[in-house]
Amino acid sequence: MNVVKRALLVNLVVLWAGPSAAHVAEQGFVLLLPTTAYTLAGVAAVALTVLALFVLPASAIRTLFTVRRIPTGTFAQARTLTSLISFALLGFAVWVGLTGPRDPLSNVMPLWVWTLGWVALVSLAGLLGNVWSWVNPWTGLYHVLGLGRAPLRLPKGFGQWPAVILLVVFAAFLLVDPAPSDPARLAMVTGLYWLATMAGLVLFGRPWLQQVELGHALIGALARLAPLRFGPEGGIGGPGWRLRTRVPVAGAGVFALTFLAVGSFDGLNETFWWLALIGVNPLEFPGRTAVMVPTFLGLLTTILGLIAVFWATIRLGQLLAPGAGAPDAFGRLAECLLPIALAYHIAHYLPSFLVSIQYTLVATSDPFATGADLLGLQPFYVTTGFFNRIDSVRLIWLSQAGAVVIGHVWSVLLSHRIALDLAPKPGQAMWLTLPLSVLMIAYTFLGLWLLAAPRGA
Amino acid sequence: MQTTSEVSRADKSAQPDRGIQMIKGPTSTRRTLLKGAAAGGLVAASPLAARFADAQSAAPIKIGFQQHSTGIGAAYGRWYGRTTEAAAALINAEGGINGRPIEIIAEDDGTDPRRGAEVVGKFATQHNCDVAFGTLFSHVVIGSAPAAGELKIPYFVVSEGHHVASGMLNRYTLQPGITDVKSQVQAMAPFVADTLGKKVTMIFPDFAFGHDHRDFFTEAIARQGGEVLEQIAIPPTETSFTKYFPRIPRETEVIYHVMVGPAVLTFVKEMGEFFGPSRPEIFGFIDSLEAVSLDSAGLEFLEGTFFWEGNPRYAQPDQTPYDTAFREAVGVDANGASISDPADVSTYAHMFGCWETLYILKAGMEAAGYQGPADRAALIEAVEAMTTMDEGPAHPQGPKLFNGKTHQVFGRQYISKVEEGKLFRVHSTTIEDTFYPDEVDYTTQSF
Repeated sequence: MNVVKRALLVNLVVLWAGPSAAHVAEQGFVLLLPTTAYTLAGVAAVALTVLALFVLPASAIRTLFTVRRIPTGTFAQARTLTSLISFALLGFAVWVGLTGPRDPLSNVMPLWVWTLGWVALVSLAGLLGNVWSWVNPWTGLYHVLGLGRAPLRLPKGFGQWPAVILLVVFAAFLLVDPAPSDPARLAMVTGLYWLATMAGLVLFGRPWLQQVELGHALIGALARLAPLRFGPEGGIGGPGWRLRTRVPVAGAGVFALTFLAVGSFDGLNETFWWLALIGVNPLEFPGRTAVMVPTFLGLLTTILGLIAVFWATIRLGQLLAPGAGAPDAFGRLAECLLPIALAYHIAHYLPSFLVSIQYTLVATSDPFATGADLLGLQPFYVTTGFFNRIDSVRLIWLSQAGAVVIGHVWSVLLSHRIALDLAPKPGQAMWLTLPLSVLMIAYTFLGLWLLAAPRGA
Repeated sequence: MQTTSEVSRADKSAQPDRGIQMIKGPTSTRRTLLKGAAAGGLVAASPLAARFADAQSAAPIKIGFQQHSTGIGAAYGRWYGRTTEAAAALINAEGGINGRPIEIIAEDDGTDPRRGAEVVGKFATQHNCDVAFGTLFSHVVIGSAPAAGELKIPYFVVSEGHHVASGMLNRYTLQPGITDVKSQVQAMAPFVADTLGKKVTMIFPDFAFGHDHRDFFTEAIARQGGEVLEQIAIPPTETSFTKYFPRIPRETEVIYHVMVGPAVLTFVKEMGEFFGPSRPEIFGFIDSLEAVSLDSAGLEFLEGTFFWEGNPRYAQPDQTPYDTAFREAVGVDANGASISDPADVSTYAHMFGCWETLYILKAGMEAAGYQGPADRAALIEAVEAMTTMDEGPAHPQGPKLFNGKTHQVFGRQYISKVEEGKLFRVHSTTIEDTFYPDEVDYTTQSF
């Protein structure tokens, strides 16, 4: 072979592959950090939480998730206004996506959707509540149109299953599609999704949003983790208190598990381990188009695998605590994994967010790349310097790891609280959730390992 | 001082037929271009339009920039983008090309060969670009070049790969702004043999990139009377290297390393721990640590070792005014880092290639009297006719010699030594050190 492949000049680089591999290879410094020790400490923290449940009285866990009711207004008018603004901004973004700069790092379409929407809004939902009810681009217009009663009804048995399917399709676009950040491509996909959702809303009314629309399903699910809730049913309590009072919805548990699996696979599919498994040299990644089939199969396997493992842990728990939990233990405990999914989402995207939010600001300030400076930022250069110092890399890594550990501890406690409702006899909750707790300890290790593992794609 | 454009004009005058061919671009293309400009709207709507209003046509020359915005090349893509923007702004401020502004149309290729080919297709058919430009990663160049050939759009790559000069591409693909790895590697051999030692052990990643270093250098050092005692190939997934170091023969005088990937800092650290205070001389390619600060934790062991640099990252005591101006335009300080963040180290050894390539495009288009896509062949012939490129504002990295037959430029290489966490140039090769026999003559291929 007489061709010198200078293919891999790359080493400690920023791997901002748009939304998905929105990661950075401050990896070189991460590999120098004592991540094994950090990981063991994190796993130990979660394991100790599980052990503590053996000695803590049930009342302590109950206290943790009590709620103080504070009914408020619904802010319906304000929500209509913000939703209309959001609709206008989305229309603008689609237009810029189709006609503006072709570079995804200069175009507000991919930057707003992936950085502000997928990364930031989803992360904030678990802390602030249902932000999507304020900024979704449909309900404002729907309200203004005042169409009255919807002509059709979604079958009751559908539950959230349509949203589950949509989440898998979304994950495939995020992780498998060759160019999810291409401005025009994303503008078309987003525009079509907006039209389809608007049509569904007009035909089926608001149930469409709850059962099908992905943003409502996902952000709505994570919002139930927030300590604060507004509205007539509002209140403040231990984060996740709303899961106790929630009426079970078919498919919601699988939806939560799918979200967790998507996040885990998003991390996994960039690791040296995964690339070696599918026969790709991690130092010579051939591009997303070359790995679409294995990536898609890996995504499906991860989702189905997690559902199967979770089901097994619940069955085992029910064997250990006979009579506890059936029949909705699966769905209700699955939703208790949402803190893990949320924490991993935040941890996974933190490094790339630090970079992409800079691009987002610049593009917003100059949406047509004409040299405008609407936000008065200039002179401004996007920097990735914080990946070039071991101190800042350590801080970023420990923030990620801290989020992962907190998420797992939170899930352990929350699932125990739900189990107290599912298992009427004293002491049963502990046994019902023990296999699940072991799974969570293992998952802590997986999450931290993913953060520390060398990545090549 | 002779500029590139003067060189190309001078060369062209010796070939009158070619000159005539260049001038007869059909005037109808102007309308096409104006239409394209209206559709693009970007430059037309900008203040630049006014500056060029007096020109025969203010329609911009569209340069499709195949950028690694995402994927494994993103760090390079960011700096290639900054350099390209800076050069384009300067060229426009100086009057553009043939009195017309240039417009950079950046498309992300995802550092993916298949998408690369699609992007070249978009440049040719959708954006009506005059040329395509800027690709770095070899597999993307190799994947995209056939599309450029089929669509007959000149494709100016900035990749360092030997694939252009090896003859595996086509007449539409050129690399006039950056030297290729074969010439870089072999030009290191005289310095290594004369200054560091003749008995070399090579440590390289076990895939094509490492193999090419292995093959080129082993051959080149032999010509200098040296020898490679041991070739240690490291599996690409390896993240710990201690077990490989005992394979280094005791009589080794020089270690030649070209490790890449996230584990490179670990490699350096473990090599330091292995050798302790007494070590052989160590020579590497800065590619391993491009965009990484040399005073980073774990790199202390590199103190006193040597690196190839395509362009010295740290401003040297004898810095040329061209290098000063280049840094200022791109926004890079004397340490090769962004002026806005001293920790944000640039890809300084490579990104000058975008700057120089754009100036070569300017020179080539002006020599060819380029009007529009119908003159693409004339543009390629004008670039093929180029030879000497003097160091200057258009060539801040140094003087070069273009080989029109192989479509590859040759130029000075630099060897620097790490001292107190910075790189100081200790040797500059001659251009002749980088020569090797031609492996192709693209000029015999028809358009």
